[in-house]
Amino acid sequence: MAIEGYFAHRGWPVLNFQRRAWAAYAGGRSGLIHAPTGSGKTLAAWGGAVEEMADDGANGLNYLWLTPLRALAADTARALDRPLAFHGLENAVALRTGDTSSYRRKKLLEKPPPVLVTTPESLAVMLSYADAPGRMAKLRAVFVDEWHELLGSKRGVLLQLCLARLKALNPALKIWGLSATLGNLDEATATLLGRGAAAEIIAGERERPVALVSLLPESISRFPWAGRVGVHQLKKVVERIEAAESTLLFTNTRSQAEIWFNAIQSVCAWPERVALHHGSIDRALRESAEQGLVDGRLKCVVATASLDLGVDFPTVDQVVQVGSPKGIARLIQRAGRSGHRPDGQARIHCVPTHALEVLELAAAREGLAQGRVESRPPIRLALDVLAQHLVTIALGGGFEPETIYREVRATDAFADLDDRQWQWVIDFITRGGPALKAYPDFQRVVEIDGRMRVPNRRIAMLHRLNIGTITADGALQVRFSKGASLGTIEERFLTRLKPGDRFVFVGRALELVRIRDMTAYVRSARGTKAIVPAWIGGRLPLSTLLADGMLGLIDDFESGQAPDSPEAVAAAPLLSLQRRVSALPGRKRLVVEHGRSREGAHWFVFPFAGRLAHEGLAALVAARIAARRPVTFSITVNDYGFELLSAGPVELGEQEWRELLSPRGLHEDILESLNAAGMARSRFRDIARIAGLVQQGYPGRRKATRQLQASSGLVFDVLSDYDPDNLLLAQARREVLEAQLEYRRIERALDRIARQQIVVTRPERFSPLAFPIWADRLRAQLSSEDWQARVNRMLAQLERAE
Amino acid sequence: MKIDLAGNPLELLPQRAVWWPAARSLVVADVHLGKDQVFRRAGIAIPSSVLEAELAGLDGLLQKLPADRLIVLGDWVHAPPIEGEDWPAAISAWRARHAQLAIELVLGNHDRDLAAWLHEWRIEGHKEGIEINGLQLSHEVVSEYPFAGMSGHLHPVAWLRAGRERLRLPAFARSGDHLILPAFGRFTGGFDGLVDPQWALYAIAGERVVELAPDKRRARPLR
Repeated sequence: MAIEGYFAHRGWPVLNFQRRAWAAYAGGRSGLIHAPTGSGKTLAAWGGAVEEMADDGANGLNYLWLTPLRALAADTARALDRPLAFHGLENAVALRTGDTSSYRRKKLLEKPPPVLVTTPESLAVMLSYADAPGRMAKLRAVFVDEWHELLGSKRGVLLQLCLARLKALNPALKIWGLSATLGNLDEATATLLGRGAAAEIIAGERERPVALVSLLPESISRFPWAGRVGVHQLKKVVERIEAAESTLLFTNTRSQAEIWFNAIQSVCAWPERVALHHGSIDRALRESAEQGLVDGRLKCVVATASLDLGVDFPTVDQVVQVGSPKGIARLIQRAGRSGHRPDGQARIHCVPTHALEVLELAAAREGLAQGRVESRPPIRLALDVLAQHLVTIALGGGFEPETIYREVRATDAFADLDDRQWQWVIDFITRGGPALKAYPDFQRVVEIDGRMRVPNRRIAMLHRLNIGTITADGALQVRFSKGASLGTIEERFLTRLKPGDRFVFVGRALELVRIRDMTAYVRSARGTKAIVPAWIGGRLPLSTLLADGMLGLIDDFESGQAPDSPEAVAAAPLLSLQRRVSALPGRKRLVVEHGRSREGAHWFVFPFAGRLAHEGLAALVAARIAARRPVTFSITVNDYGFELLSAGPVELGEQEWRELLSPRGLHEDILESLNAAGMARSRFRDIARIAGLVQQGYPGRRKATRQLQASSGLVFDVLSDYDPDNLLLAQARREVLEAQLEYRRIERALDRIARQQIVVTRPERFSPLAFPIWADRLRAQLSSEDWQARVNRMLAQLERAE
Repeated sequence: MKIDLAGNPLELLPQRAVWWPAARSLVVADVHLGKDQVFRRAGIAIPSSVLEAELAGLDGLLQKLPADRLIVLGDWVHAPPIEGEDWPAAISAWRARHAQLAIELVLGNHDRDLAAWLHEWRIEGHKEGIEINGLQLSHEVVSEYPFAGMSGHLHPVAWLRAGRERLRLPAFARSGDHLILPAFGRFTGGFDGLVDPQWALYAIAGERVVELAPDKRRARPLR
């Protein structure tokens, strides 16, 4: 076989799973290959195509390789090219991403290469050209890299629709996904290939074992009970970096990354060999950091999820994770970013930032040992994406509704689409809405000779500009007055600064000069006093798997069977203290704590359902209490529980708590209790963008869209007033429940609580579980210095209680 | 809410308009009629009820107040009509219902190529602004140099803050003897940048207009 020749040439052994994947491909089958990073997954998928091309040659665009990150595209293209070049197929692979120049794109259209490496969004744009059907019908196979990253997002939905289109153009098309290990591989496969499609699921070689090493404090009683930064561990971390060749240090948020980057730089002896990498930083700076890792110039890169994916860094021999990874899948993924060690292990050093994270790490260790990993639920019935896709294919040669309906229904995302929803989407793109009178002179998609098309060139242009589902969330460019761009920061942070205000970004202290044309001009600031921006959406909730693992560990601790892992041992004194001053929660027990302070009456509840679900639960309980007596609460949540604080006393017994936490009437109560309308309004931002109801501002294209500026909130208000049955509004409400509040998790939590014992305790001081919640609230309300001083005082008080 | 502007008693109305009794005039700014149509032209589905609601809003005020004159401080329309579109006829019909009313329009940046339509609607357009009773009426003001008079263009909004809740409300903004009106049109955005304490903000909170003291408001929500 040709591909085996290449392996022999490189001196690589052919692994079993690779051989199986090649055979399945040769048999014309589709499927999913799951294996860890750096284990030969790419060639397992690609080998079949190499073989095919060696036999049959190429005629036009025959292969698509889709990657979620355009930063990965260039590297992947090289990896795909090598075995082809070995067989004398020169220049077979080309790139097309959002960065590709329009001249180059035109060339690609005129003379398509046999293999194109691109992103899902670029594929959608390609499908929007009138001659797309003829060109794309020549595709033999599509490969979807890092499918696990796309699976749970609307990008994944868009890709499913595009794949359905390609399959319709060529029923013999082979589709292969590449994925990290997931808890729901069958579902992931069905989502990629369509429900009921025949599929091969091929597992890679056994996962590299992950060695978890925690940097624990000597004594947990000297360890902060709350906080998210963890720089008190700085000395130890710098020692580890010193000892290793090259280190990748992950944090959970961009602010944390900025803080750690500065901290490391200020104490180490090699500040020029440290770099920062996160999603807001300019692409050129990020690429320079990545290159620095590849060529060994850098000793440490501080990164966020921005480096979870991406090119391999064989030189990186150590990974450090600051804060809990919040899930086992992420722990494995990040550990896998370290190069291969002689012992074959992927080693990750975890730095807990507060005491309860030690327990999270203990649970993560147990989860790893049991080989458990989280699922990623796919998104279903996203009508905004469907509307966008239908306009795309109306542009790309037009469509007949009957045919496309069947095609769309064959995807997993729209398998449950009903006639009413379908008709609504068709109405939406052809007449604006079902009520003809409401949208006079509207036209976007028009039926011409039985086919749905987009006759208006301006509408076509606007649509192509807006293809995709990633929302650039009101981000402003940050650049020096004279020249270099540093990256982007969310508008709502920057616009509350005044000229002269200082902030930290890309590890530098900057001073705002002025904001103009979606750009914040800055200059370097002297001195160190500067604010670190709080980026939105940085904090992921604790995974159900890990939360449940924590409760299991607490149960084991209570029954004297706790494992003797370093983390479990370190966490034991904290759990003892919790038991002494209150009670221990567990799989069969819900703990509710009550206390009084100068601030008022505190109720703490610990369902361990993750911060998002706790937001919903807290609002629900507050509303249910308020329905019985007039009282208002202020609410604080974290991953373990929530707090309700009222100015006056509120007395509640065990029986009342059981009623307050009853699953009965959950759906109605939660809609009533939350500012559901307000949340839906902000959720509508993405939906409006994807469905084409708001136009994004484009540098250089401002003129085309200037008159079309309306915020999604405004559109939401107008539709709510004048077209309240608009299904996109309903979708916003649904997304608030499902994605924002994790409704299913709330439901499961309440079902569990219904079977649990409820213990109400009245500790004299805040318990170890309650303290972090309390501290979080103070942080939100007071300035940071006051917060720190006050927390320290409280801590001193607490430690005296031991 | 009643205020006095260079000796002119004015009433700030929660319907985003000003009643000027001495001049028997109703003053509004930034109506942006036809904006929904501009969006539909570009294939963006915004319902046309927006236009009807805007005109009905004017109807309501004109019914209640003994106004001889409607003064529009610019941006009466969002963009000039295109042949074949229905909405200018809706404005003509509305105009016919208020045949006695004088309408003065200080031309705003959106009121381009409108001469024929202004003639049809019997609206007098003023390029340079007008002066009535010592008040200069124009479309724009440079916020550092407020003059005695009224303007629009900025669409001021204010953030009302109470505990953890924040609400964004359309507002009148006043500095010395200058008053900036909120946008009358509902399908318009807002500007929350009038943070200098020299600007007093009168927010429209439902049925009422309330003055927001500087400590009760925030330029932007803090997260």
